[in-house]
Amino acid sequence: MGGLQKKKYESGSATNYISRNKARKKLSLSLADFRRLCILKGIYPHEPKHKKKVNKGSTAQRTFYLLKDIRFLMHEPIVGKFREYKIFVRKLRKAYGKAEWGTAEKLRGNKPGYKLDHIIKERYPTFIDALRDVDDALSMCFLFSTFPRTGKCHVQTIELCRRLSVEWMNYIITLRSLRKVFLSIKGIYYQAEVLGQIITWLVPYQFAHDHPTDVDYRVMATFTELYTTLLGFINFRLYQTLNLVYPPKLDGKGEEESRAESEEDYAMDSERYMEVLLHLFCHSRFSHPCFGSLQEKLFEGLKFFLNREVPRESLAFVLRCFGAQVSWDKSLCIGSTYDVTDETITHHVVDRPSLEKQYINRYYVQPQWVYDCVNARMLLPVEDYFVGVTLPPHLSPFVEEKEGDYVPPEKLKLLALQKGERPEQEEEEEEEDNDDSEEEEDEDQSDDEDELKGMEEKCRVCRPIVLFQASSVKVTPGEAKPVNRQRAEQEAKAEEKRLAVMMMKKRDKYLYDKIMFGKKRSVREANKMSAKRKALDEASKANKKKKLKK
Amino acid sequence: AYSSRTLHLQQSARNMAAARRHKRVAASQPGFLRLKPDLDHSASRIGHKKRVNKNKKKNWNKYSDIQDVEEFLEDVRLQERATGGLLSDKSDDGLFFVDVGEQKKKGKGLKPLRIDLILQPDSQVPPPKDILAYQQPNARKLRLMAQKAEKLAAMGVLPRRERLLQRRRIPGSEKPVANNDPARAFYDLWRPDRPDTADPYYLEQTKRRLVKRPEKLNVKPSLLPAVEVAAPGASYNPDFTSHQALLLEAHETEVAKLKAEEKLARQLAVRKEDLATEESVFREQVEGLIEEEEEKLEAEEDDEGTAVGPTAQTEKKTEKQRKREKADRVKELQKKAERKAIDSRQQLFQLRTISAELRRREQQTSVRRTRRKDQQEREKVQPRRLGKLRFQAPDLDVQLSDELSGSLRTLKPEGSILKDRFKSLQKRNLIEPRERAKFKRKFKVKYVEKREFREIQ
Repeated sequence: MGGLQKKKYESGSATNYISRNKARKKLSLSLADFRRLCILKGIYPHEPKHKKKVNKGSTAQRTFYLLKDIRFLMHEPIVGKFREYKIFVRKLRKAYGKAEWGTAEKLRGNKPGYKLDHIIKERYPTFIDALRDVDDALSMCFLFSTFPRTGKCHVQTIELCRRLSVEWMNYIITLRSLRKVFLSIKGIYYQAEVLGQIITWLVPYQFAHDHPTDVDYRVMATFTELYTTLLGFINFRLYQTLNLVYPPKLDGKGEEESRAESEEDYAMDSERYMEVLLHLFCHSRFSHPCFGSLQEKLFEGLKFFLNREVPRESLAFVLRCFGAQVSWDKSLCIGSTYDVTDETITHHVVDRPSLEKQYINRYYVQPQWVYDCVNARMLLPVEDYFVGVTLPPHLSPFVEEKEGDYVPPEKLKLLALQKGERPEQEEEEEEEDNDDSEEEEDEDQSDDEDELKGMEEKCRVCRPIVLFQASSVKVTPGEAKPVNRQRAEQEAKAEEKRLAVMMMKKRDKYLYDKIMFGKKRSVREANKMSAKRKALDEASKANKKKKLKK
Repeated sequence: AYSSRTLHLQQSARNMAAARRHKRVAASQPGFLRLKPDLDHSASRIGHKKRVNKNKKKNWNKYSDIQDVEEFLEDVRLQERATGGLLSDKSDDGLFFVDVGEQKKKGKGLKPLRIDLILQPDSQVPPPKDILAYQQPNARKLRLMAQKAEKLAAMGVLPRRERLLQRRRIPGSEKPVANNDPARAFYDLWRPDRPDTADPYYLEQTKRRLVKRPEKLNVKPSLLPAVEVAAPGASYNPDFTSHQALLLEAHETEVAKLKAEEKLARQLAVRKEDLATEESVFREQVEGLIEEEEEKLEAEEDDEGTAVGPTAQTEKKTEKQRKREKADRVKELQKKAERKAIDSRQQLFQLRTISAELRRREQQTSVRRTRRKDQQEREKVQPRRLGKLRFQAPDLDVQLSDELSGSLRTLKPEGSILKDRFKSLQKRNLIEPRERAKFKRKFKVKYVEKREFREIQ
């Protein structure tokens, strides 16, 4: 009976998994090569459900891969290329060691390389699959394009990333499909809609930053390698859908201007093409026919001028996405079309505390106005964003408030603006700095109460706002009240709900009460928050008044 | 090259030999008068020339006089050496010049050094050519090969080298294009290809068709979105409440960390009971020395002394005992069967409780199922444990209230996007968490003083 007994760990999950080192040895690759291969092919380690079984009784923490995945990896043609590269490195090192420079040169000229096209095709069989994964690719490409060209990372990779990101921005500008922008302390988040897919990506600020040491560069470089290839193919396909030439070329007019302006001061020959492309795009003859919606023509007809200290690339991209004309100072970069002295400029974007020379026909705004307009999908009043004015907070467009959640008053104002109501005059006066008078204080107090009431009412979004009309005593012929159908429906629903609640059994009612208690918790918290906010506003007002009195 | 002196000497030697011969011949002529009288009267010999055999090689040189020929040839050689050819062959201009009495310029012309002149060849005869330099042992073979090649080329057959040179270059096969070349071209990857017309087995065997990708690999390891937008409190100009909320979150994580540290410190701290007091110290020192203790120990030993002796040998069972046991067993079985029958009959009346029991069990299983499903859903979003290190959630990027700058110009970015992306990849289970490899030394570092310094006290 000895031979027929089942032995442990010979079947089941123990044979479905393989540890990383064993897998590496099976493929006869070094660890770095193995990781690179896994990243490129999209093979990820798995955490087995019963680790002890898979690990054959031991509880050591190991990285496990599925055996079938590793077997699939063995058929990959790139594995051979990795081995060739290893041999190439060995030969090159020998040639250098023996000081055989001729051999070294010859070897260098025949450096083995590999292509990832078939891997992309295999991982993303359709174009839509690839488009779903493009968030990550975009963020990586934008990140790598901002790296300094010191040689720590291949300069070619950085250039390729820059080219691809410029092409993508061009496409978004052409399609005018930018939807949301959010400036965070980390970077700028953009959201656009491409062929029905919502794509969010993150772009770092252009300032130089030192790199953290605990990030594995090789892993990131491998991901970038994969993503640049993917993004390149996606760009090609996207340009094809718009019947544009890929790689994008400038039209005749643009070319002449570029040649006139672009001397060696601004960009190296290799980079001139990309810089020109990014900045001279407005001269392209292409006009997309279906810009029907108001949103896409937000800044249509407006002429902007960017001052030196504002983030030029980001603003130019956002403004162009909505149809504006943009320019900047000639000494900054290639592509400035008109000068600061141009009379037809409508808006001048400045970020300084004060500005000396001011032209009359134009508005001087801070850069947040542009972003807030984009998020609000309308042109906001410029007064709040003038030079030197304390800006209203930059709200995140990615937050969606549910029923009963706290809505900050700034957002309420925004919603009100969007609906077309005029903002209450009293609130505005309170915000601004006024001359002090006793009247003001009284007004303030009464207004405070009104404000609080108003806020409380507005906070409970679900409760319909009831308009109270003073009733007259006289008997007058009756007026047919216009039946608000929506309100009637809502009321009927509420009636039904109340009846249902009354008819519930005791046990069910107990559960229901518990649930409603939990729901109303958020409302209670919202009230708390609004009270806090009110306290802060009062405190800040008191401070201001103290300062004025002094 | 002979110098004129040697020439002169040679010439004089030859002249002397010739003179001697001349004298000899003259002396043998009849009527020659000698100064010394000829004692043995060689006059008898006068008129008799000694007869020699000139046909022998030995006598050719001795008795033939080729002086004139020699002289003539010498003269010819001299002419050739001196002037490079026979004087009679030279033109008048080469031999004579009309002396007009030119004045030579003095001083400017640098006269060549004497040693240089001495070292120049002083003979106009050119040195003979080195025939070894022109000799090729396989000249004929090479010639024949060249002729054959010419004949073939005339027919159109070229050697391999020429064929390779003339062959057209395949555009893609020259140099492998690097993957990250910034000027690389892309094409439409998702264009519907025309299907492979070749046999699928053939394609598979020659590795032209790639192996099919397993379906499981198309499932993403995590359902988290690739780019998670930061909280509204992380805006560069946030509104009050969201900023407070974010600060609160950061505060809670810090508090949790502190709590964990404190807990650890608390657990590792020394308890007050464990501290040594005077009494406990004294007791420890005195242990085993007092007699009371010994009695207690003896009492304990007695209790343990119940010896377990060997069991008595079992006697063999008798027939009676065996029969009785069998009957008992049968009875037991009968009883059990009866009981079972009764139970199954009574179950009919217990239906309600049975159904209640079943319902309870079903509810339990359904509760467990929902719980398990919830757990699975939660796990799909969590970072899995994929290696030795656990996933460390990244620190929240938050700027304190006094760090907040209201304007974009004065904004100081917080956190690094590189790190953020790296952590996001780990969170989505695409890579295992890694930390930087520490520098491990194979051998311990030893510090030794140099000899000079060792001697200095």
